[in-house]
Amino acid sequence: MPENLIFTSKEVAFLRELERHKVEFMLVGAAAAALQGAPVVTQDVDLWFEDVKDPGIQSALRKSGGIMVPSFGHNPPTFAGDAVKLFDIVLTMHGLMSFAEEKKNSIEVSLGRVKVRVLDLARIIKSKEAVKRPKDLLVLPVLRDTLKTLKRKER
Amino acid sequence: MRLSGKNITKLCRAHGLSLNALLKRAGVSKTAFYHLLYKESVLPRSIEALAAVLGVRASVLLDEADQESRRAVRLLEEVDRIAGSDLSVDRDNVRHTLLLLEEKPIERLQRSLIRARKPDLHE
Repeated sequence: MPENLIFTSKEVAFLRELERHKVEFMLVGAAAAALQGAPVVTQDVDLWFEDVKDPGIQSALRKSGGIMVPSFGHNPPTFAGDAVKLFDIVLTMHGLMSFAEEKKNSIEVSLGRVKVRVLDLARIIKSKEAVKRPKDLLVLPVLRDTLKTLKRKER
Repeated sequence: MRLSGKNITKLCRAHGLSLNALLKRAGVSKTAFYHLLYKESVLPRSIEALAAVLGVRASVLLDEADQESRRAVRLLEEVDRIAGSDLSVDRDNVRHTLLLLEEKPIERLQRSLIRARKPDLHE
């Protein structure tokens, strides 16, 4: 199973626990773009939570053996521990609407035994256009070409 | 099994190459190419003999390679269609995206993460 090659059993357990506790989250960023066919590389999997204080997150962390390090200084909250270090917490998606609104622009994707919501590629592009970090500007042409390919392939 | 001049021309076009450029890049002389092109069969006699004993056409023994070739041509035709309708897109991005779309989403993510984590990328 490819899922075993990407995620450790603890990481899968964490995602499944989030699902079980009905935590509202979706995959965003480069990993979400890759899932939709973008030929990009990434080091981590960004998870955008509707409410990072959702008790379901803490329950999922306890079950899978991870912890959340609260934000301090300019550092946003982060996950720590082998079970969750692949995942990054996203609090805000710049240039986009609220989580609830953007959920309408998400799709459900199966990652082996877990199903996750993934932000639509067009919205990922919109956010990266708003953030304008050098790494976002570098990947934008590839993401735009992928979106054009997806649209034209449908015709 | 004969060499397909039609397929070669199509693939050349998809890669933006002339036949001469292809031969030069591949290190194949014109004489060798046209010799193969006009041969009744480019397969070794032993393959033809095996097929004859099995009572099948030689192409049946090479089905997988043939399918791969057809698949590659179809993909490049799709790249042509998409890139041709919008000159601003990068053909490589289109080709890579189409290749990734043939895989399951989880396999696409796997490629994305493995490539990013490959430790000896610059060694």
